[in-house]
Amino acid sequence: MCYNVDMNTYIATFFMHFGSIRFERLCKSKGLEARTMPVPRSLSSSCGTCVKYRAEEPLFDPAHDEMEQMVICNDDGSYTQIYKAKNL
Amino acid sequence: MEKKNDKLFIIIAGLIIGIIAAGLAFLGNPKNMGFCIACFLRDTAGALGLHKAPPVQYIRPEIIGIVIGAFVAAFAKKEFGSKGGSAPMTRFVLGFFAMVGCLMFLGCPFRMILRLAGGDLNAVLGLVGFVIGIFCGIFFLKNGYSLKRTYSLTAGEGYWMPILEVVIFVLLIARPAFIAFSEEGPGSMHAAVILSLAAGLIVGVLAQRTRLCMVGGMRDLVLFKETRLLWGFIAILVAALVTNLVLGGFKLGFTEQPIAHTDGLWNCLGMLLVGFACVLLGGCPLRQLVMSGEGNADSAVTVLGLMVGAAFCHNFGLASSGEGPTPAGKIAVIIGIVVVALIGVVNTYVKASAAEEAA
Repeated sequence: MCYNVDMNTYIATFFMHFGSIRFERLCKSKGLEARTMPVPRSLSSSCGTCVKYRAEEPLFDPAHDEMEQMVICNDDGSYTQIYKAKNL
Repeated sequence: MEKKNDKLFIIIAGLIIGIIAAGLAFLGNPKNMGFCIACFLRDTAGALGLHKAPPVQYIRPEIIGIVIGAFVAAFAKKEFGSKGGSAPMTRFVLGFFAMVGCLMFLGCPFRMILRLAGGDLNAVLGLVGFVIGIFCGIFFLKNGYSLKRTYSLTAGEGYWMPILEVVIFVLLIARPAFIAFSEEGPGSMHAAVILSLAAGLIVGVLAQRTRLCMVGGMRDLVLFKETRLLWGFIAILVAALVTNLVLGGFKLGFTEQPIAHTDGLWNCLGMLLVGFACVLLGGCPLRQLVMSGEGNADSAVTVLGLMVGAAFCHNFGLASSGEGPTPAGKIAVIIGIVVVALIGVVNTYVKASAAEEAA
């Protein structure tokens, strides 16, 4: 059991826009602070949409496979990848 | 911090691109056509004999430069990758009809900005249609529209478009007898090859680094209230406007604008089709070219759709001219809007209900 109450900031990117909307809804249904926005340029050259959210642990949506990648936002502004879609 | 730098970078990039684009018109390109992805793909298609309209045949080095510039920039930053597999034929059709809309209006979204910057008020009606079209596309995006994910493809797949552009460049330089170049009309007006190529390379690199997209600016503003890409659009407009004012290329009005017609309704509907199709594609024609240089095979297929669309437009009399739209062109634009709407419906609702059944 993890008692760490430190919140992390995650960014999940999606292949298509609606994946982001659906994921944002999932985050909000779990009471997490979440926002859909364009993918930061430094993260990807593709122009998809992403969801930035704050949580203790990364959130995954097992019902849908629209997620392209998930990163954790480090304090220094860099990203650490924690998930990448297969065959990407 | 990073966000501010991002915005500043795209503004600077937009200003540079605006100056280059307006400048090219003074170095020999047609007026208000320093850049026009639609026109230039059309000219290239003509030069390759895909259509036989004598005034609009020339291999435009700007197109070659954009693809190669984007390729080099992506490769250098390790962002090049062979990707695709997201509804290629649907993208081909969307590209095809985006071109039908462009050639109704006589310009892609990029040239629409340059026409605005040249004082061509017909482009204001184009802009109105463009925004309406983007809203139509956003309606579907919000309701679940998806062309499904892209996949990593075989290593060589992403190189085809850059290779094709190199081959076309060789044809431009060697100019064998089967390549047709216009002797009069817009196709005969062009800056020196080296200048056009350099301009294309610079724009390709900058557009790849910034993800500049004429459709994306408006889309992100509506969807996320995010203005980054829109600043690129505005910067191009301002820089091109100032350059035109300084060099004397600004002429305010509706009539006698270069390579434009005054039929407001069809200028509007043409760009409506372009905005609509491009939102469903995920980017304007410039962006499609840039992504094809990054190794995106779906965008490469879209570019082919644009070229085939251009060839059809001129073979079947769908393209407008300075005299105005053609009856066949009007029918084609209406068909285009219907087809794009159907693509929106099928990829939003049909798939969604099928998924629900499965779940």
